[in-house]
Amino acid sequence: MLQKPRARGRPSTLAESQRDRDRGGDEAPSTSRGLGGSQETRGSRSLGARSSQAASAVEPRSQKQLELKVAELVQFLLIKDQRKIPIKRTDILKHVIGDYKDVFPDLLKLAAERLQYVFGYQLVELESKSNTYILVNSLEPVEGDAEVRGDQGTPTTGLLMVVLGLIFMKGNSIKETEVWDFLRRLGVHPSKKHFIFGDPKKLITEDFVRQRYLEYRRIPHTDPVDYEFQWGPRTNLETSKMKVLQFVAKVHKQDPKDWPAQYCEALADEAARARPQPGVAAPSS
Amino acid sequence: MKVEVMVGDDSCSDDLSSEEGDIDTILLGMVADEEQCRSIRKQYRQLIYSVQQQRDDIVNTASESLTEALEEADVLFDGVSRTREAALDAQFLVLASDLGKEKAKQLNSDMNFFNQAAFCDLLFVFVGVNCLEEGKNQLGDYDESVALAFWEKIQKEATSWTLRTETFHFVYGSFKSESSAPKPRPRKRLEKIEENGEMPTKLRKMYPSSNQEATEKEVERILGLLQTYFRKYPNNPVSYFEFVIDPNSFSHTVENMFYVSFIIRDGFARLRLDQDRLPILEPINGNQMDEEDDPSSLGSKQGVISLSLQDWKNIVATFEISEAMITSS
Repeated sequence: MLQKPRARGRPSTLAESQRDRDRGGDEAPSTSRGLGGSQETRGSRSLGARSSQAASAVEPRSQKQLELKVAELVQFLLIKDQRKIPIKRTDILKHVIGDYKDVFPDLLKLAAERLQYVFGYQLVELESKSNTYILVNSLEPVEGDAEVRGDQGTPTTGLLMVVLGLIFMKGNSIKETEVWDFLRRLGVHPSKKHFIFGDPKKLITEDFVRQRYLEYRRIPHTDPVDYEFQWGPRTNLETSKMKVLQFVAKVHKQDPKDWPAQYCEALADEAARARPQPGVAAPSS
Repeated sequence: MKVEVMVGDDSCSDDLSSEEGDIDTILLGMVADEEQCRSIRKQYRQLIYSVQQQRDDIVNTASESLTEALEEADVLFDGVSRTREAALDAQFLVLASDLGKEKAKQLNSDMNFFNQAAFCDLLFVFVGVNCLEEGKNQLGDYDESVALAFWEKIQKEATSWTLRTETFHFVYGSFKSESSAPKPRPRKRLEKIEENGEMPTKLRKMYPSSNQEATEKEVERILGLLQTYFRKYPNNPVSYFEFVIDPNSFSHTVENMFYVSFIIRDGFARLRLDQDRLPILEPINGNQMDEEDDPSSLGSKQGVISLSLQDWKNIVATFEISEAMITSS
């Protein structure tokens, strides 16, 4: 399943310097990777003498401690990814990194490498200099995936894709009233409880927005007030105009080229993506 | 839109150095101007109001009304001399340009031949819902099971166009919710230790004890079994292997060895090599101690027993052990 396994043998600069100055760790971190393990280390660190905490800030940390930190960071990122809400750097620093702030960029880089190598997930900055991150699958979906996926909760991706398709085909922006006119025919109403989606209005105008799939803006000078939807930054990272166009075309049983304006736009988008992107997990310290 | 501000005719300017210095005419002029300005403001507001009312019409149709409104504002602007009216003009400009942008967007999408209603119908077709059934042209008209199947099919298709990650859900939950729990624990321990006198008992009670208790129980049980055996066959030590080995389960054997080691450590039994240099278990009681003539027996020694799967099988075969002496509870 791994398509491009990254070479693991590339030592990070931090690891090299640690090997040179290794002191066999005065703090003995537990080696367990489990849930209890990380708690105990933190507990023992706060229990243990203040001197050890002060010492760890000054002394070089052992390889084992760094490994543990990276593992904690990977676990943290995976857990935060459950809700699909972008992960803030401040949260990472507060909950995981703590004293190790000075080596944060290296830790993040190592964690990103591990996520890529072990899970096939890419750690990406949502927008450049936003200091928020998301996880994106670096493996293209494959025919057999859906069968083995199992129950991943409510099928919101389908609803999202329909809305994204609408937005793109209508010129990258669509009014909220138009969205509901469309969705009503699919049995999804803004004010009626849906047996799958629960509160659809909340799902679309709040949850998807918080997850950064959609942007939801008020249209000025409207009476009664109306809002418009556009693609959010996460959408551009997880899918593309061309892919959404292909989805729409597939439903129509037509070719994407049948919509020349959108097709041109999608092509331009593909060309822009092919150029080297600056925003891939490059944590600015 | 005219940009230059007209300074000419009106006497609202502060140029009091006009030669005639005729205050009356100036004042009269100012009053008349006040009227004019008010009227201009009124007209602007009307214009803005009417454009807002006609908003949908302006944006969605190919009407000329936006252009007409702009021309009207142009004319009005001729009479503008003060900032107050100019501000209203600016407000109108913002409105007009927003509407113009909307109109342009409409123009764009008209060229794209995307028909929402068709898309909706085609979604039904794609999923396989036959929407030619009478009276059913909305998904809401169908059974819930149909709707569920619809959304699942769409979901399956949609996920193949996106690079979404699968989420990990840990069996015992993520650590975040428990992270506050360990913090009070260390503090409690410190407080309890500070109490005097009953220290040892209290500490023992505070051990995360579920494992401890189970082990103790097992040890006691096995000790009971061992003592029962010794009572039945006094002066007859039991072969260590015969006692601990469970011919049916390697893991039970290992567990038994573990528990027996506690018994030996606590001094309830003794492990010795007999004449054949095979380990045997002997009970320890007061009498035995006196009879023992080897002074070094009072000391304790440590030993390590390792047993691999193959060893275990060999022992079962060699000793012909058919059933475990230590039965499971």
